[in-house]
Amino acid sequence: MATWGRLRGWLRSCGVIRQHARLCGHGWRSLSTGRTVLLQDDFFKELESHFKSARQKAADAMPGSDWSPFERNPNLPPELADIVIVGGGVVGWSIAYWLKRKELVRGGVKVVVVEKDPTYSRASTVLSAGGIRQQFSLTENINLSLASADFMRNINEHLGILNEEPVDLQFNHCGYLFMASEKAAHVMEENHNTQRCAGAKVTLLSPTQLKEKFPWIRTDGVALASYGLENEGWFDPWTLLNAFRRKAISMGVIQCFGEVTGFESTVNRIHTVEDDLVEMRRINRVNVQMPNSMEYQPVECALVVNAAGAFSAKVAEMLGIGAGPSDSIAGIPFPVEPRKRYIYVMHCPDGPGLDTPFVIDHSGVYFRREGLAGNYIAGASPDESPLLQDGEPDTADLEVDHQFFEEKVWPQLAYRVPAFESLKVTSAWAGFYDYNTFDQNAVLGVHPLVNNMYFATGFSGHGLQHSPAVGRAIAELILDGNFKTLDLSALGFKRILLQEPMLERNIV
Amino acid sequence: MLKILIPTLMLLPLPWLTPKKWLWPTSLMHSMIIALISLYWLKNSSEEGWTTLNPMMGTDPLSTPLLILTCWLLPLMILASQNHMAPEPLSRQRTYISLLSSLQVFLILAFSATEILMFYIMFEATLIPTLIIITRWGNQKERLNAGTYFLFYTLAGSLPLLVALLLLQNSTGTLSMLITPYNDLTLTTSWSHKLWWAGCMIAFLVKMPLYGVHLWLPKAHVEAPIAGSMILAAVLLKLGGYGMMRIMVTLDPLSKEMLFPFIILALWGVIMTGSICLRQTDLKSLIAYSSVSHMGLVAGGILIQTPWGFTGALILMIAHGLASSALFCLANTNYERTHSRTMLLARGLQMIMPLMASWWFTASLANLALPPLPNLMGEIMIISSLFNWSWFTIILTGAGTLITAGYSLYLFLMTQRGPLPQHITALSPSHTREHLLMALHLLPLIMIIAKPALVSGWFA
Repeated sequence: MATWGRLRGWLRSCGVIRQHARLCGHGWRSLSTGRTVLLQDDFFKELESHFKSARQKAADAMPGSDWSPFERNPNLPPELADIVIVGGGVVGWSIAYWLKRKELVRGGVKVVVVEKDPTYSRASTVLSAGGIRQQFSLTENINLSLASADFMRNINEHLGILNEEPVDLQFNHCGYLFMASEKAAHVMEENHNTQRCAGAKVTLLSPTQLKEKFPWIRTDGVALASYGLENEGWFDPWTLLNAFRRKAISMGVIQCFGEVTGFESTVNRIHTVEDDLVEMRRINRVNVQMPNSMEYQPVECALVVNAAGAFSAKVAEMLGIGAGPSDSIAGIPFPVEPRKRYIYVMHCPDGPGLDTPFVIDHSGVYFRREGLAGNYIAGASPDESPLLQDGEPDTADLEVDHQFFEEKVWPQLAYRVPAFESLKVTSAWAGFYDYNTFDQNAVLGVHPLVNNMYFATGFSGHGLQHSPAVGRAIAELILDGNFKTLDLSALGFKRILLQEPMLERNIV
Repeated sequence: MLKILIPTLMLLPLPWLTPKKWLWPTSLMHSMIIALISLYWLKNSSEEGWTTLNPMMGTDPLSTPLLILTCWLLPLMILASQNHMAPEPLSRQRTYISLLSSLQVFLILAFSATEILMFYIMFEATLIPTLIIITRWGNQKERLNAGTYFLFYTLAGSLPLLVALLLLQNSTGTLSMLITPYNDLTLTTSWSHKLWWAGCMIAFLVKMPLYGVHLWLPKAHVEAPIAGSMILAAVLLKLGGYGMMRIMVTLDPLSKEMLFPFIILALWGVIMTGSICLRQTDLKSLIAYSSVSHMGLVAGGILIQTPWGFTGALILMIAHGLASSALFCLANTNYERTHSRTMLLARGLQMIMPLMASWWFTASLANLALPPLPNLMGEIMIISSLFNWSWFTIILTGAGTLITAGYSLYLFLMTQRGPLPQHITALSPSHTREHLLMALHLLPLIMIIAKPALVSGWFA
């Protein structure tokens, strides 16, 4: 190729080509309509780039390259999958991992996890405070936490990959400290009994014992405290999510970034004895739309798992759950909605020491140590009515309300821990709870009217800590037909249909 | 012969001229009538010779059962495709039925050909409609890969066959099947004769398929729609067996030397593919590998070239055709409801569809060669003739039979028994059409128990 260039140069220097330019340059008009040979139309110059692109094309088409004659977006999910998990948070990936772990042969089930946001900027998992506790009032919740804590203590046995770095969850086993006022002390005692019966290692502390153990607490107004001795604390949610994701992908789960925009389903219309119309729906395909594009792929699937967290109700609406007449099962909407909660990072060099547990005051304000440099994170659950006077925060975005800290959180914090009277808020963020408005407990199981959609959502703030055990439970439900290790049938849809709430009294 | 061929040819314009409402009923009805008329061929007026003979086509006790199987299968294919073709546009439905009918025409011409070259041309011609069916109506993008494998494996095997046949024509002057058994062609062990022998046989061994060249079959069977799977499993594999039977009569005595590696591959394939079946998670893939396993036994029976071997091979081909097609139809009933072929996700079906479970039971028993079904008759004849040739083969065939029973029961227990998952409690109930389909598959199989001489070929 270079020889042509040299040849041209030589020709030009010999005056052959210049002659042509002279012909066109000095008023000589060619017989065509004045079009001259411009330098950029030069055939020889482009020839080299043509050759280069042809060579590139040939190299692409050789075996070993992934060029294919059909232009396929590599992010598109497959056309046929067995199980589509909507939502790529920690619950979704936990379910994917356990499905792969429980299949009997390699490649037993084809699992696709669809996640809307590749940056996880609005996902509840990564915005969580990351705590794990067994101090619940419902036995199922306690068992879930115990099983998850056991999983996370032995995480490298479960999620370790050969030749990769071991998973380090930064699990701080500092325990939770719940404090109860006079009027709630009996509830705490009952809960304590339930927890001990289920096998949680918790202990009750009187105010004097509390003061002795944690001298930095002001115990005025505290009648009773419950302190977790083992398997309680906090860990890094992002590490857990990535550990599940990495291990699941290594076991063959397909990850797809896209948004589920609709379902194609078959509807069977049945008339009951009283001549009411019941529509039983079976999902045939999930329409997954690619990010920033109109392109979508209908994924033919056998069943769908709704692990979409705060946005589960939107997915449920696409199937007509809640769209029926109000006195029928179809008219009961899926009771999970996003609730915004704030977390504030504060720096207090004189604060409580390194053995500070996750402290939760009876007013709903909580804080925990973050790192080793005197930072703490704090927040408040506006479940208690004094904090909820202004209503729930707007869920349209994740903007942080700093007034909330000034007015609601700091006074109570400073009251409970005098050292917090002087602190500096260095950062803050907001995240969504997938809040179950019905009874603040998870919904696990198949919907009665949509035959092949499993729900694993509505955890109302304790999804992250239950995720390993919930993943195992849903995998058992799918592959074994029923719960095997933990019986979570009480958390199914039945209580919502019968309108019998199973309230969890210890919501933080 | 023309009584069947002309109506089948008329099946080609039938879907294009029928109004939409009557499209499927008329094609079903007419193909069923042709199938019933074809039963007339069972009456072979001469025990070993050719009946309904004309210069181009004829039937003899070897081709009659296969012809009837082919004619019988067309209405079954149309019945099975009705549901999944319903949402397609009308012209595509018509194209589909025309493709099935054209495949039928080619197959009838192939099995009734008296000239081996005509058989070869029809053998190749069947590839085209099948390829179109697999690549156009399959369900996933892997169907393109499947079509490629299917086409090129068969083509690569059959081009040497063309050369060998032309050579045969040149050296003996004829390729008519009436004359080739009496050829005086004594093949020696020279290299050219060995190549000639291999050229004649490879195409059919790829089509059967023999274990080493079987890779196209699981792909093609899994990716094809139900009618494609049915015709592939029931008839197209038998084209290979039939071709081998016809051509081996001219290839003595070289066969005695050359058959060793192929019998070993076939028997080893029985065990290997049977073991692969035990590890399958995809339902159609399991049935496809079981087809390879059974056809390995058929290949062994044909290569051994004894009367019992041939008889057993033919009986097993017919019985396997019906049983395998029945299993594919059952797998399709599963797939249409759950939209997944994975066995793990559709378990305990006996609870919700008990009548279909009885069909599953019968088809699985047929697959594992339960007496008195003809599957067992064929297998026993092949195993005995192989044992007569060499006692060592009993180890391979015995282990193969054991593994066959293993995976057939695995198939049944996995899909029908076991815990019923919560997501398939509300499946739509079985349609009468599906029950009719299964009955039409399995009742002939059960009726053959009464008179196996119908399907025994030359040595009834």
